[in-house]
Amino acid sequence: MPAFVLQLYIAMCLQSDPECPALLDSRIHLEVANVISSRSSVSFRSQKMSFVSIRSRPSSLRFKICCSATGEAQAKKETVDKVCMIVKKQLAVPDGTPVTAESKFSELGADSLDTVEIVMGLEEEFNITVDETSAQDIATVQDAADLIEKLVTEKTA
Amino acid sequence: MRHHHLLLRCRAMPLLPLPPRTLRVSGGLVHHRLIRCHGMPIPRRTPGVSGGRLFASLPLPPPLQSPREVHVWYLCPDELNNQSQLNMYEELLSPSEREYADSMKATMLRKDVVLSRALLRTTLSRYTGCKIDPRSFEFKKNKFGKPEVLWPLDDSTAEQPLHFNISHTTSLIACGIAINAHIGIDVEEKKRNTTKNILSLARRYFTPSEVDSLAEISDSDAQRKEFLKLWTLKEAYVKALGMGFSGAPFSTFSIMLETSKGIRISKTSNASRPGYDHLSENWLFTLAELNSSHYMSVCIEDSSRSQGPEDSPAPVGLKVWKTVPFVEDTLVSGTEAVKLIA
Repeated sequence: MPAFVLQLYIAMCLQSDPECPALLDSRIHLEVANVISSRSSVSFRSQKMSFVSIRSRPSSLRFKICCSATGEAQAKKETVDKVCMIVKKQLAVPDGTPVTAESKFSELGADSLDTVEIVMGLEEEFNITVDETSAQDIATVQDAADLIEKLVTEKTA
Repeated sequence: MRHHHLLLRCRAMPLLPLPPRTLRVSGGLVHHRLIRCHGMPIPRRTPGVSGGRLFASLPLPPPLQSPREVHVWYLCPDELNNQSQLNMYEELLSPSEREYADSMKATMLRKDVVLSRALLRTTLSRYTGCKIDPRSFEFKKNKFGKPEVLWPLDDSTAEQPLHFNISHTTSLIACGIAINAHIGIDVEEKKRNTTKNILSLARRYFTPSEVDSLAEISDSDAQRKEFLKLWTLKEAYVKALGMGFSGAPFSTFSIMLETSKGIRISKTSNASRPGYDHLSENWLFTLAELNSSHYMSVCIEDSSRSQGPEDSPAPVGLKVWKTVPFVEDTLVSGTEAVKLIA
């Protein structure tokens, strides 16, 4: 099946699937990069879930999507990007130096005052409160993003 | 940084260069020459290095006379740009320290890691009678991550354990040493600006009484400086306690600068909830201005028996040296370079 048609179907199904609210990110249809199709199932890897498979019933054109996530979901790219932006600003990172999810605050030259300012910036941006024990465990941008998502989820739960 | 479980094996080594560096003796004078990795000796007269004797032994410092005495050795990274000197400092580092230095993205940060470890190792060597090679010190972390020296079991220096703490800003790295007392040190550039508003930061992290004392200062620059003084004092306390930021959140204790008995610390009411019993108030503080450019706070444990609310604690005996390890040491305490604030 041509990739673009597959994308369209997935997008439609995602919209209507109440069991996977995390799939409502409309960008997911762009991530159908490696599609392995066989007669009755199509699978692809996505950034958000570790494995998604789509099974087609021979007599129906609609797909049922089953997703199985292995391990904890990682923070949205959006969150990571926002954290990177706050970190870059606080540490005045020069344009040539990349700041990514794996970047360690210590490797970027953050001292303790920088760290609390970054945490405060994250609290303001995401409307959360980070206690000292959690703050102490943040070593990378990814850690910060994961913590933010956890706190936001807890807040809206 | 990984810590080593191995006991210190080489000890009491005289501080001489090891092979493959050559050692020539002529007429009773010993000349040490540093050989670079590619086999080319450096010229004897190295600019900026007095006499070119890069491997001169570290001079013995005056001894720490009491647990209330603190010695601080600092260096300024911006002034240390001699590559062969920096290479020599790098040779003092352990493999894991070198790995940590290599993990730094920026060259400046890498240099800071090298200088910071070299400063620590050479300082420890000084205070162990200059008998232990700086290269041979090993370190461990306490359960909260605070670095400590891993002393060999049979070494007599372990009976009067040396305690150290390091602090760095981009322009200054300081190493504080005390005997028989836990120590914390923090330095900060006086001109440092925060990205957040001072009172917002204070409201979020400090205690209400500290916020009030800051809010009383109308001049924003004076307020910023006062914030930095409080910050360094609180950092020094947390580092001395050695339990990490979460072991002593800044909101659980207040520092008072202007009391008649010098700097005092007191626990706040929200520190009486369980989990903060270890927050103690028997600590001595000293705050100084270094070179008119930095605030430096030192905090050490006060084990004196005469501690009572009416007794004023004896001042911390502070001695400060500016150092270029193996090259030059300058005693700066007692001069304009070190101005005691409290």
